[in-house]
Amino acid sequence: MVLKIFFPQCCTTADSGLLVGCWIPDQDSAVVLAVVHYPFIPGQVKRYLTEIRSQTDVDLTVLGSWSMPKEGQEGMDSFLKDLSTIFPHSRWLQLSREIGKRGEGSVRDENEKVIIVHYDQRKVMLSQLHPVQEGVSHSKMEQSALRAVFHTVAQSHPLFFIDKYDDGPLKLTHWQSEGREASIIAELVKQGSVPVCKLLTWMLSLWSWLGSIRLLNVPPVRFISSKLSTCVQLGYRTEHLQTVSSTRKATEHMEFMRKANIFVSFLLDMALGLLLIAWLYRENRIGKLASTLVPVADHVAKELRELLEWLMGAPAGLKMNRALDQVLGRFFIYHIHLWISYIHLMSPFIEMILWYVGLSACLGLTFALSVLSDMVALLTFHIYCFYVYGARLYCLKIYGLSSLWRLFRGKKWNVLRQRVDSCSYDMDQLFIGTLLFTILLFLLPTTALYYLVFTLLRLVVVLFQGLIHLAVDLLNSFPLFAMGLRVCRPYRLAEGVKFRVLCEEEGTPLHLMMEINPIKVSAVLQYYRTPTYSCYPRDSWMALCKKLFVGELIYPWKHKTTKTD
Amino acid sequence: MGADSGPGAPAAAPWRKVLYGRQPYPDNYVDRRFLAELRRNVGVQQLRYWSVAREAGLVGQQVSCVAVFVALWSSLDGGALPPAALLWGGLLAALLGYGLHGALGGGTGGRTRWADLQSAAIFLAFTFGFSPVLKTLTESVSTDTVYAMSALMLLAHLLFFPYARPSPPGSLSLNAALFGSVCLASRLPGALHAFAMLTWALLLFALWPCLLQRLRDRAPRAFPWAAALVSLAGVGGLSGLWPGGSVLLLLTLLALTLACPLLLVRLQRHKDNIHGPWDEAEIREDLSRFLD
Repeated sequence: MVLKIFFPQCCTTADSGLLVGCWIPDQDSAVVLAVVHYPFIPGQVKRYLTEIRSQTDVDLTVLGSWSMPKEGQEGMDSFLKDLSTIFPHSRWLQLSREIGKRGEGSVRDENEKVIIVHYDQRKVMLSQLHPVQEGVSHSKMEQSALRAVFHTVAQSHPLFFIDKYDDGPLKLTHWQSEGREASIIAELVKQGSVPVCKLLTWMLSLWSWLGSIRLLNVPPVRFISSKLSTCVQLGYRTEHLQTVSSTRKATEHMEFMRKANIFVSFLLDMALGLLLIAWLYRENRIGKLASTLVPVADHVAKELRELLEWLMGAPAGLKMNRALDQVLGRFFIYHIHLWISYIHLMSPFIEMILWYVGLSACLGLTFALSVLSDMVALLTFHIYCFYVYGARLYCLKIYGLSSLWRLFRGKKWNVLRQRVDSCSYDMDQLFIGTLLFTILLFLLPTTALYYLVFTLLRLVVVLFQGLIHLAVDLLNSFPLFAMGLRVCRPYRLAEGVKFRVLCEEEGTPLHLMMEINPIKVSAVLQYYRTPTYSCYPRDSWMALCKKLFVGELIYPWKHKTTKTD
Repeated sequence: MGADSGPGAPAAAPWRKVLYGRQPYPDNYVDRRFLAELRRNVGVQQLRYWSVAREAGLVGQQVSCVAVFVALWSSLDGGALPPAALLWGGLLAALLGYGLHGALGGGTGGRTRWADLQSAAIFLAFTFGFSPVLKTLTESVSTDTVYAMSALMLLAHLLFFPYARPSPPGSLSLNAALFGSVCLASRLPGALHAFAMLTWALLLFALWPCLLQRLRDRAPRAFPWAAALVSLAGVGGLSGLWPGGSVLLLLTLLALTLACPLLLVRLQRHKDNIHGPWDEAEIREDLSRFLD
């Protein structure tokens, strides 16, 4: 069995003393956390260790002795050997530093192979091993050695409070013994954040109460608000803010990261939104935008009308059924006429509406993008209507044709068995069925062409909206804080460790240096993506093509809520 | 395999044709009664020439029906026949046919006169209502395509016609004929023409086979005369349109009615079917007593 000793780098230059740490029994390893220096009173050491053991979950014991040979302390060795009788132990380590050599030797009772792994205590304490396992701290059995080491160091936080400026009875050496790290700003922020969070929580609860009153939960209102992406985005931002502003301190790593990510992305969002407002309202750009809106709508309507007139003629040399052509064309042109009248009716109010709506961008760039998407949806509502008419007509035709084709062959769809069966029809049914089949068949090219044209238009609009939603989703869910951490302090997010050989000689134990391996950038995204609504294509390409062919209405983007956790 | 009495065969007990009993013979052994149950040409009827020729008359009759239809269409198209006259003729023929159908007896098949009247009303109303639409259906399709489609459809009608029992009309044949007639009718100059054409299509392709079936059942003597009448009408009508075609039709009819039965009877003697206990079992019992 190989004994692994994890030794902190800060203690390699420490004076002689006792090694304090933790045994990891199953994997036959020991983690050295600190060195207690001479002079000390064993009773006080034991008391201190019991106190720390009760504060944390760590099974602190005295592991052994550490000797750093100095002039005038030749008797140290034998003194330290005698210490093994004072402190209860199952195994006793004796590590000594040999001047002139880079590594230490160790004297052991049994002849075992020993590996000494040096580690940077500060980094290991702050780092988090991925994939994160939370809530399994009790079952040390299932943890690997590495995880146990990281966990032990992280949990022994109270051990590192005593630094060299303290006037206590014990003198310890660990990573913070040169002086505890603290910053005034962090302390101020921590103190100030509690009342701010309380205020925010109260405001948010007021807002959610407003949102849940009966008047606003009537089904038509709820239906519209589920379709408008602005309202959806508002809902999600409220949820995020509620997460961030909860006054409970985040105990687990994932929760903390999520809060931090949401907070940072929210700040970025607001900053971008304010930038946008500054740009829009300078030089009255928004007024200019409003005044170009009505001419643009007019232009779109004119283009549509020309398109319809082209369809009513002989488009691309295709020969259409003139009567049906004229009927459909006139119907759609009348529709456009209604739409343009509506836009002209609204034109005096547009500038004012746009001015106020533009102000809402102060809530964030995502909000402004959602408003843009909704405006595009409203302005192209007539294209959506045309698409629905065309698709329904086409779908009816295809359905009728397929059913009548079965009648043509003398077969019938058996609904019970979900298959096609033969059937003996009456004379009436045969006659009328054939007549209708002929009519539908010859009118098919006309309807198909109208359907094709309007579907293409609708797909263009849908694509544009999809792009906007993609941008919003990116802003919502990108884990900026985690990315920043990965770039600036990569040891905080660890995937594993690397070992570097420091000293490998016969007769002395193997010395390895443990370095932290940070996780890959793609893994950062995978672990820390904020769950939010994302736009995924609802169907695969084949299913989409099939739906288009049959004439079913397509809603290509599905708003999926990824609630993992 | 093979005969018995090989040298040293045990011959303890006679061989039985069973597999469930252990016998001293190998499993694939048969004795000299091998293939004794073979029967040749059990169900083959001896066909007589003139009865076959009579039945073949139905096929010829159907071909000439199609020819009559095409002749009517071309005369309507050319303007030789006014549509009103055709309509009245159709109505008269329908009434005559209906009367004949009733007079021949054989039951009404569960349909009352009122139901028949309703059907007729539906047909007429529907066809009249849709004839303006039908007229403009193939405006954008070229003439050649329309003719080709109609020809194809009428050929399909002839191929899939239920010659054995014309009375419940076969779906595919009737539908193909109607499709072809709608294609042709949409080429006519006016809505009334289209209406007249469709009415005659219905009479010829849907109602005439019912009458023919009844004739065949109830008045077998008169059946060949009816078939001959239709054939003559076909040849005559076609001669006005295309004399070469009428000659072709006549030749086809003769071949169908006279030559093909001769061939069939001649070939009968070469028939060689074998039957035996290895055939698929046919259930001859009436199992409807189990459905209760």
